[in-house]
Amino acid sequence: MITKPDTRLLKAVALLLVAATAFVIASLVLGGDHAAATTVDPVVAPANTPKSQLVVQGLINGTVFGILLALAAVGLSLIYGTTGLSNFAHGEQVTFGAVLTYFLTTKSDVSLPLIPAQFNIGLPLPIAAIVAIIIAGGTGWLQDKLLWGPLRRRRIAALQQMIVSIGLSLALVNLFQWWVGGERYRLTTSIDSRLTFGDYYIGRQTLLSVVIALIALAGVAFFLLRTRLGRATRAIADNPALASASGIRVDGIIRLVWVMAAALAALGGILLALYENGLSFDQGARLLLLMFAAVTLGGLGQAFGALVGALVIGIVTEVSTVVVAPDMKYASALVILIVVLLIRPQGILGRAERVG
Amino acid sequence: MDLLIDALGESFAPATAAFAIAAIGLNFHFGLTGLLNMGQAGFMLLGMYGYAISIRNGLPIWAAILIAMGTAIVFGAILGWPTLKLKGDYLSIVTIAAAEIVRYAGRSQTFVNLTGASVGIRGNEYKGPFEDLSPFPDERITVLWWTYHGSASNSWWLRLVAWTFVGLMLLVFWRLSRSPWGRVLKGIREDEDAVRSLGKNVYWYKMQALIIGGVIGALGGVIWSLGNSVQPDSMGRATTFWIWTLLLLGGAATVFGPVVGSIVFWTALSLVKGLAKLFIPESIMPSTVIEPFALMLVGVTLMLLVIFRPQGLLGNKKELAFHA
Amino acid sequence: MPDPTIVAGIDPVPGVAKPDAILVADGVKRRFGGLTAVDVAHFEVQRNTITALIGPNGAGKSTFFNLLTGFDQAQEGTGTFDGQPLRGMPPAKVARAGMVRTFQLTKALEGMSVMENMRLGAQDQPGENFFTAFVPPLWRAREREITEQAHELLHRFKLYEKRDDSAGSLSGGQRKLLEMARALMSKPTMVMLDEPMAGVNPALTESLLDHIIELKEEGMTVLFVEHDMHMVRRISDWVAVMAQGKLIAEGPAGSVMQNEAVQDAYLGAHHDTDLGEDL
Repeated sequence: MITKPDTRLLKAVALLLVAATAFVIASLVLGGDHAAATTVDPVVAPANTPKSQLVVQGLINGTVFGILLALAAVGLSLIYGTTGLSNFAHGEQVTFGAVLTYFLTTKSDVSLPLIPAQFNIGLPLPIAAIVAIIIAGGTGWLQDKLLWGPLRRRRIAALQQMIVSIGLSLALVNLFQWWVGGERYRLTTSIDSRLTFGDYYIGRQTLLSVVIALIALAGVAFFLLRTRLGRATRAIADNPALASASGIRVDGIIRLVWVMAAALAALGGILLALYENGLSFDQGARLLLLMFAAVTLGGLGQAFGALVGALVIGIVTEVSTVVVAPDMKYASALVILIVVLLIRPQGILGRAERVG
Repeated sequence: MDLLIDALGESFAPATAAFAIAAIGLNFHFGLTGLLNMGQAGFMLLGMYGYAISIRNGLPIWAAILIAMGTAIVFGAILGWPTLKLKGDYLSIVTIAAAEIVRYAGRSQTFVNLTGASVGIRGNEYKGPFEDLSPFPDERITVLWWTYHGSASNSWWLRLVAWTFVGLMLLVFWRLSRSPWGRVLKGIREDEDAVRSLGKNVYWYKMQALIIGGVIGALGGVIWSLGNSVQPDSMGRATTFWIWTLLLLGGAATVFGPVVGSIVFWTALSLVKGLAKLFIPESIMPSTVIEPFALMLVGVTLMLLVIFRPQGLLGNKKELAFHA
Repeated sequence: MPDPTIVAGIDPVPGVAKPDAILVADGVKRRFGGLTAVDVAHFEVQRNTITALIGPNGAGKSTFFNLLTGFDQAQEGTGTFDGQPLRGMPPAKVARAGMVRTFQLTKALEGMSVMENMRLGAQDQPGENFFTAFVPPLWRAREREITEQAHELLHRFKLYEKRDDSAGSLSGGQRKLLEMARALMSKPTMVMLDEPMAGVNPALTESLLDHIIELKEEGMTVLFVEHDMHMVRRISDWVAVMAQGKLIAEGPAGSVMQNEAVQDAYLGAHHDTDLGEDL
């Protein structure tokens, strides 16, 4: 979890910049034949585009992706920070937001598992998204009430809970496949118009997504740093026993964290579905490892670490396509995760742990 | 009746044996040592590639198996080196990430000449030498209620070899887990620092456990590939989670847990699918969703097992393998 | 019983050199972030004595203990054990060199039987090698020796009846005894006990104290961290006092508590600390 915004944040940003610069330089130097392969990706410029330009565009895309990923991942970090649980079902929370929004907004007929009836709700996208986020927050509350809360009371070990979350993830991803099938869907049929500056571009809708994500992240930061509840949350992350002894209602706060985590994941899922121009039952499952990578990179349980880590992951993912084939871009992000763990096991923002 | 025969047929299918072997490997990791390897499918996939690519390049079977095992040794060493000094969660995240890297690399166009990208390697490119060894006739043979080919692909020959391998791996696990070596691993599972204070090189023992379990996983992959084809997406995260489910179902840290778990898992899955097809009307559950429905039940089973019976069917409550 | 003759003639000043030191630490510093947890200029432990390491809460005793046994690494400083340099030595190697420790929070291996706990403590079992493990004839003989040694120790520590029970079923005090017995399986030259008396009921305390004295009689050296000053006074030949990471005093148990620095350190931290003296 976060402590006072001391020099560690500065150091982390510096480290991030150094890493990004090194990566960009490496890409420029090494970026040989693969530039041609990137034409497979429809949004990437033609093959004769200079590498430097691809790198800068990759930086733009990567920052966007990183911010959206941070939004989806911040809940994972909050939950780890307050309960010690590595929640493998967090990806399904992300999927749930996107799938539910699709369910509420699409003009096609949709149905629910086990209910032999067709619906056609067709709400406007913003309203569908808000309803979906509220319902998703409710699932966070329900999950903690029915599953995680009782497990904590039974003092089930964190690792055991982690495997429970794997089971939940397996159950949910298949439930979603049952629900919406294996196809890819789009949340909106409109085509995103591009804002161009010179050689570079960003979609208007994407820009709006980024603004929404940044506002949400700023909200989380404000909550954690400036509100009484937020400070209580950080206190629990630092030392649950002490927090409990000093009169903080640990269980209530953790339930709130679950609601927040689920709602933020849903919002992240919706924005990512817009950004990637599609959603499917395994959207979150595919992102889960990137989210874990972001959170681990930033330092497990450090809320702001998730942001820093997600930016690193986002930029690496997008810029790496200059050097490696696009179908390897997630792999390069995971390689970076392993490399960083080698150099700095506690993550970029994490504290070295005291032994014994 | 056909349903029951099909389900019972699953109980000794090659895939059941392959998963039992992979789970024996995971039993070295988790059952004995307490390591949270979430990338067992990656070890299997490496074994599959190692074997299939070697055979395709004209190597003999024994060399292909050695290469499959060697790949797993290298992979385990690379994985273990940074992570075995860190907390358990890190190992789980790094192993799952590494297994996915293997899968992404396998399905990437970059290595299409080696791995066949997302299409994979077709069975007829590497199964030949193994099937040529079959002493059984080249025709379909019926034993009791089951009819399979004598030698080709999903055959009686493969069943014989696969279950012999299962027996062999059980013997290896039984011998090692009851040796002083296994005692050190169990100690590490209970408390690393205590074992360190007794003069054992904990890091090195964890490395050995990770590698031996991974090598056994790779052998499971080889067996699996001989009944199917080499296809990277068949060895995704879900596969690892199934292996975990069936290990916990049978009972971690027990000798026969992985085998019992695998048999019960695959038989039950086949039964559930068959029953759902028979008894649930198409209007409520179309046949296309029976697969996700059954796999959803796998997830629920894993949750219930871990919460209510973490020792599984055969395990001993006192030797619970979960330690924070 | 404390034996004043062993330490006679040693000046009771912090960092004093001992005539036959088995353990020497020099310039050891350990910082966590901005906090310096341990800053010991010089410290020696005399061979075949019982030395107590005491000090108020947060004095850095446990951290110093971890540094000496290799469980934590100091940023600065050197040390030797029986002539071997300790710097950078991993904990397992420290143990194999003959310095075995126990833990403040007992680390009995709860899922294993008492007997298996004991066997794990032994050194030089060839069956602990992966390849040898496959061939029992290569390790059965050594296993029998180990088992015999374990039986003896279990008799001595009155745990023989419990040998087949799981260690998790033992009481807190019995676990402490098991941990100590297990440490002795490796035939160490020096035993490091981290709060051996914590959480042990009074009946067992007596036998624990006797066991510690026996260790010395068998020629071992004991260094232990303890809070209970009554226990310290009863068994230690020599007492070293830490406060705020520094070694502030050393001397025979009887006199060290009269030291002004010690009284300040204790009274400054806890006015109600029982110094184990009949004031």
